[in-house]
Amino acid sequence: MTSENKVNLISAQALMSIKNLELRARVVVEGFCHGLHRSPYHGFSVEFSEYRQYSPGDDPRYLDWRLYARTDRYYIKKFEDETNLRCHLLVDHSRSMTYGSLGYIKAQYANTLAATLAYFLYLQGDAVGLLTFDQQIRAYLPARHRPGHLRHLMLKLEEPAAGITTDLDAPLRHIVEIVKKRALMILISDLLAPIATLEKNLSSLVACGHDVLLFHVLDPAELTFGFEKAIMFHDLETGRRLFIDPATARKDYLKKLGAHNAAVQSTCQRLGIGYRRFGTDRPLELALFDFVRERMQSGKFIKRRIN
Amino acid sequence: MSFLAPLFLFGALAIALPIVFHLVRRSSKENIPFSSLMFLHPTPPRVTRRNRLEHIFLLLLRCLVIGLLAIGFARPFLQKPMSFNPPSERGRRIILLVDTSASMRREGVWPAALAKAEELLNSVSTADQVAVLTFDRQVHSLVSFDQWASIGQSERAALTAGRLREVKPTWANTHVGNAMIAAAEAFTEADKQDQNLGPRRIVLISDLQEGSRLDGLQGYDWPRGIEVQLERIQTERPTNAGLQWVMDADDSAKVDADASSRIRVSNSPNARREQFQLRWEGVSGTTPVDIYVPPGQSRIVQAPTLPPGATGEHLVLRGDDDDFDNAAYIVQPKAEQVTVLFLGDESEKDPTQPFYYLKRGFQQTRRQVVHLSAHPASAALPPDELNSARLLIATDRLPENQVNAVQTFLDNGGTALFIMKNTAMAETIGRCAGTGALTAKDIVATNYAMFGLIDFEHPLFAAFADPRYNDFTKIHFWKYRRFETGNLPGARLLARFDNGDAAFVEIPRGKGRLLVLTSGWQPADSQLALSSKFVPLLYAMLDLAGGIRAQVAQFHVGDPVDLASALVSTVAQSIAVVKPDGQQIKLEPGEMRFSQTDIPGIYSVIAGGTPIRFAVNLDATESRTAPLSIDELERLGIPLKPREIELAKQIEQRRVLQNAELENQQKLWRWLTVAALVLLLMETWVAGWLTRRTTMPAEGTT
Repeated sequence: MTSENKVNLISAQALMSIKNLELRARVVVEGFCHGLHRSPYHGFSVEFSEYRQYSPGDDPRYLDWRLYARTDRYYIKKFEDETNLRCHLLVDHSRSMTYGSLGYIKAQYANTLAATLAYFLYLQGDAVGLLTFDQQIRAYLPARHRPGHLRHLMLKLEEPAAGITTDLDAPLRHIVEIVKKRALMILISDLLAPIATLEKNLSSLVACGHDVLLFHVLDPAELTFGFEKAIMFHDLETGRRLFIDPATARKDYLKKLGAHNAAVQSTCQRLGIGYRRFGTDRPLELALFDFVRERMQSGKFIKRRIN
Repeated sequence: MSFLAPLFLFGALAIALPIVFHLVRRSSKENIPFSSLMFLHPTPPRVTRRNRLEHIFLLLLRCLVIGLLAIGFARPFLQKPMSFNPPSERGRRIILLVDTSASMRREGVWPAALAKAEELLNSVSTADQVAVLTFDRQVHSLVSFDQWASIGQSERAALTAGRLREVKPTWANTHVGNAMIAAAEAFTEADKQDQNLGPRRIVLISDLQEGSRLDGLQGYDWPRGIEVQLERIQTERPTNAGLQWVMDADDSAKVDADASSRIRVSNSPNARREQFQLRWEGVSGTTPVDIYVPPGQSRIVQAPTLPPGATGEHLVLRGDDDDFDNAAYIVQPKAEQVTVLFLGDESEKDPTQPFYYLKRGFQQTRRQVVHLSAHPASAALPPDELNSARLLIATDRLPENQVNAVQTFLDNGGTALFIMKNTAMAETIGRCAGTGALTAKDIVATNYAMFGLIDFEHPLFAAFADPRYNDFTKIHFWKYRRFETGNLPGARLLARFDNGDAAFVEIPRGKGRLLVLTSGWQPADSQLALSSKFVPLLYAMLDLAGGIRAQVAQFHVGDPVDLASALVSTVAQSIAVVKPDGQQIKLEPGEMRFSQTDIPGIYSVIAGGTPIRFAVNLDATESRTAPLSIDELERLGIPLKPREIELAKQIEQRRVLQNAELENQQKLWRWLTVAALVLLLMETWVAGWLTRRTTMPAEGTT
């Protein structure tokens, strides 16, 4: 934590005062790049692979007209791939995400995180897709890299969370069905739901060849349970009301939460999934940094870059 | 402390609301949303009995506000003892108004009325002054205030009751209005003599049937301080049907002597019977007529047919509860013999002569039979005919002896009509009028002449005064005789021709009068005989001559009968009237009014010749025995004394009114509202202070 303080980071609270999601993402990414002393603006050209003779049925878009002018033959210009990376952001929009004790809610933080990643990847020329969910899938954008796609994605992210409960099972199963190509799956959620099927779903994702990264976002109040007065607690998802005296309940709560988090973490470890848990008060650059580090550790990402 | 609207006190139940809210608020105080309670278990709240109800003072304030508002809305006031007018120590003045009309003859009604009167007489105190009046269509004083005062205190009630017992119901109709006014005036009269200002009361003992007349009260300003106590006598047998002879509008239209009389039978609205029988009393051989009259309706029926030659005068209705109004007396009008003298040498079969039309103009009617006695102009007139005739008509010049006879006839009050068939008639006219011979000139009208100026104020033409009938322009005159009327004494021109010549002249002579028509009515002279005006004009002349006498036939009990018109020729003779019960009453010389028609039946007037008979019947209004609505009296402004139950109700009403007034004076609700407002302010302040106190440390911790 001390090293974090040395770098001049933008606090999450200050960042959240920026209303525009895209702007927030840009601030984070540019600050991040600035800190890395690397420019993201060059070296990311599309890699050419080979020419292939045109055969009927090929998309005429890929015809190389200049070559045609020179050779009077139709050639298809082939690239290694349209994009470097497909990334799917799975963002939890359930009602539990609307809790926040810091003046902004967890969903805002999660959205900003997702937007930051999307912007970062977009700048790299990667295709970014989005899937928001609560107890069911709310919005789905396939992974693309087009000029208007990022804006579209931001808009989808900004849609208010309409769902009620969190169900990790259905969205994960669904994404497995939809996304056939290998991709990077970034799951951003508070994971405040039963995790009985989490392992199974995550493993099926991994089994499909996807890289999976899990950002476990929690409010500081949820992490510490720092309430003092004995009051009526109101569950945002179920609407259940409980009279709780924090002084007596805190210990038990922290114990249970710890067990829950440990279970998630161990599942991720077992499946080789990158797992990061942080409070919503953490600067976003660090989250982005985590992401990059995670990708470096996994090696695949770096390998492709080097290629 | 009493309340005007105690139901509002239920509003105080709303005190439960703040108490409930204080309890509820405890359980739902601060509610914190949290993302998920999946790691939490409910901790039982540490509730102790002591702080279940927090802020007792605040609660108390709120309860007080609601309580005060509820009491304020209930309009409290401090009760004061109610002051009633203490009963007056002075004696009351009571007038007992006893109905003695014919409807009181119904079974059981009169004894009940007597019993009621006696009861009332026995209940009066010694200080009270009582007068007893009886009434039907007239008011009779039975015991006056003075008489009451003159009787010894112990005997007053008994003596007055005794006198009342001697009274029997009469046959007259009920005129309650007049009786009430008479009683009210009796009070004013008594007040003038003696300033006793105690309560004054009229006790009306009557069956107050529907037919009672109240019309006198309509314009009468009822004096203040006289209240009316109504003692209504009810009968247990409500059915009452009445008989009434229906007069024909125009009797002369029916020549047929057999035309039977028409009777209206009306049934009371509360009647239980509907079947009645109508028959002639005292006539054998007639079959009764069955009549069906539903309650509240009336039927007009033909009287049972009489056997030939028989005359029925007494019609009786059967099947009714009460008999007092079940007889109708009828005097069939007799055709009167009227003699009209005609002087002239004319044949009644010659249509060119006036007599032909005269003969046809006087037809026989039910009222009178006109006997036209024609004599040649020169023949001597029989003196008895001259005496009995009222009208004399001449169309030709009369010889000297005839002129003298006519002059005597005129002097005795006869009426003569001279028709100037020719100019020679002028001489006779002059001589009869007493001015010597007159001359006349034949005028043949260019084109035609007609009546120009008619004196419609004269009785002869009065019948034609209506604009519907006063068009004489259709009667054309071809020829007439012009003669000077200027030197005729007292001559009055009743009609002129359109050129100003005299057409109809009236010349008075002695007691009689001479009428001159300057033209003839035969077709050679004019169209008069052929016009619709001819016959009415002839009858107008007969009437003017006194030939048509008023018919004296139908009266109601109590109506005064004017015999003068019926007895024109018998002025000097003494007149006696025989009542239905055989009593003979001699009228004073010169007295022509008979007013003792106090029982229904046939009366006969004996004055020389054939007796004149007339029928006196019960007034039809007396048969309407359904009870009169009391509202009717109240509508006329009569202050009725309420009955005991109503009195209690009134006292209750007064109490309520007084309470409302007390409350209005005290206006305690204002103070209560002010107190509630003050408490409300306090409550706001306390609540604000409490909230600040609880929130401030909470802010510090977060």
